[in-house]
Amino acid sequence: MAIRRFFEQAYLYHKGRQAAFNAEEFVLLEVGYPLLTMIFHCLIASYCYGTNDLGEWVVGNSFLLCVNSCIFGLGIVFMNERYTGRIRSIIASPCNKIALILANGIFPAILAIIASFLGLIVGVIVFQIDYSKVDFVYIFISIIVAMISASCFGLLLGVLGLLTDSMHMVLNMMEGLLLILTGAEFPIEQLPICVQYVSWSIPLTKSIKAVKGIRVGDYKNYWLLLLLELLSGIVYVVLARFLFAVVEKETRKKGSFDYY
Amino acid sequence: MKKIVVIYESMLVQMRQSFVRPMFKFCLFFNPIISTILLYEMYINSGETNYFAYVVLGSGLMGLWGCICFSSAGDINRERHSGTLAIIYTAPVSFREIVVGKIMGNTILSIFSFVMSLLVAKILFHIEIDIKNPFYFLFSFVATIVVFVIIATIVAFLLMLSRKTELYMNCIEVPLIMLSGFVFPVDLLPKPLQLFSRLIPSTYAVELLRITACGIEDINNFWNKVVLLTGISLLYVLGARLLYRIIDKRVRIKGNLNVV
Repeated sequence: MAIRRFFEQAYLYHKGRQAAFNAEEFVLLEVGYPLLTMIFHCLIASYCYGTNDLGEWVVGNSFLLCVNSCIFGLGIVFMNERYTGRIRSIIASPCNKIALILANGIFPAILAIIASFLGLIVGVIVFQIDYSKVDFVYIFISIIVAMISASCFGLLLGVLGLLTDSMHMVLNMMEGLLLILTGAEFPIEQLPICVQYVSWSIPLTKSIKAVKGIRVGDYKNYWLLLLLELLSGIVYVVLARFLFAVVEKETRKKGSFDYY
Repeated sequence: MKKIVVIYESMLVQMRQSFVRPMFKFCLFFNPIISTILLYEMYINSGETNYFAYVVLGSGLMGLWGCICFSSAGDINRERHSGTLAIIYTAPVSFREIVVGKIMGNTILSIFSFVMSLLVAKILFHIEIDIKNPFYFLFSFVATIVVFVIIATIVAFLLMLSRKTELYMNCIEVPLIMLSGFVFPVDLLPKPLQLFSRLIPSTYAVELLRITACGIEDINNFWNKVVLLTGISLLYVLGARLLYRIIDKRVRIKGNLNVV
């Protein structure tokens, strides 16, 4: 019963997020625009590196396609709850808050997985990327792990929506940082050492490295990198729950639940 | 004279309103930093020595267009949501002048994003700012800004037709960057897209900027591009006037200037 309610809640959250758009707009937002951005970044790479073998960038940018649903979709969850005045009911209700946070992430994670696969397919069609030497099971596992981690990170950011009214700015900033720090566009080894530590602590860096490795036949660190990615996802959820508890306490004191 | 006063007053109000928005500050300060770092790190292995022509100009123009595009398109959305779009539309002064004033206000502020890119390139990466033909460069820069204002005006008019401004404004930023060759030459695009990019005035504006930054080798080529830029821009202005008339009629019939 509880599991059914969890998935019902997850579907309702998804419906609430997408209700304003019809099918064409949904495709444009979730698929069209992200894929266009991916092609744009691959073209920059093609010009900069003077190569037609864009496999490395297609992989990196396909993983980054999750930003739309995992970061922007989930990042505004609690801000929207405040905006619509529902946050009081959520905080006052006796429901499990971690289940509520996770329910928000189910559909964005599924959409992100689909978007990443579409990214790889577009790579084959537009840039003639050859994946024949790569075992697709490994890519599939990496995408699932990466999207779980990214969704958890999105939820952590979403909790910040209880603190600030400028979530659009925070999320755009995160998108920019992911672009630079995940190694999707250039090797993170080019960054200063201290920034490289930050790179390893954000989502996608590990899974992108793992998939880039298996593309060239290097399976040595594959499982370790994915384990680290999964662990970081768990850490983001725990941090999200902790932050939610702290913020809940603060907002109860200040009475600042609502947006207005 | 009255028109100029309307444009001027609208511009001043817009500048004050834009500058207090956190998202505009993000576009102005943070976005150029991200773009400059990303492009520099990607171009560092390209063998390209003139970083100014691609890294600084590319990130500067991306920042400039991003600010103009998001704020100008977003303003229609903001006015709609605050219920003032219908009021300013039916005000005794022309809505066209109000929109042009708004876009000019945003554009003046947006120039700072270009300066920001220059500063980041100089301070962080010690890129030499060597403009071979400074006078012509300034001329081209002013032409670029005028072109951006014209395109943004058309976009703002078009977005009046839809209540889903937020969705569409996200989808217009990257295509123009790609088709105008902000960060890589348009020759890299497939042939049909190259033809399309030749119909966009910003393509010529960007080429003029790059030619003048690297040094004009053929002055006739420079003036040919100026003539093409002027001709296409004038066609756009005429198109914008025609479009406004059509949209004006449709908006009055549909009555969709408010949120509901």
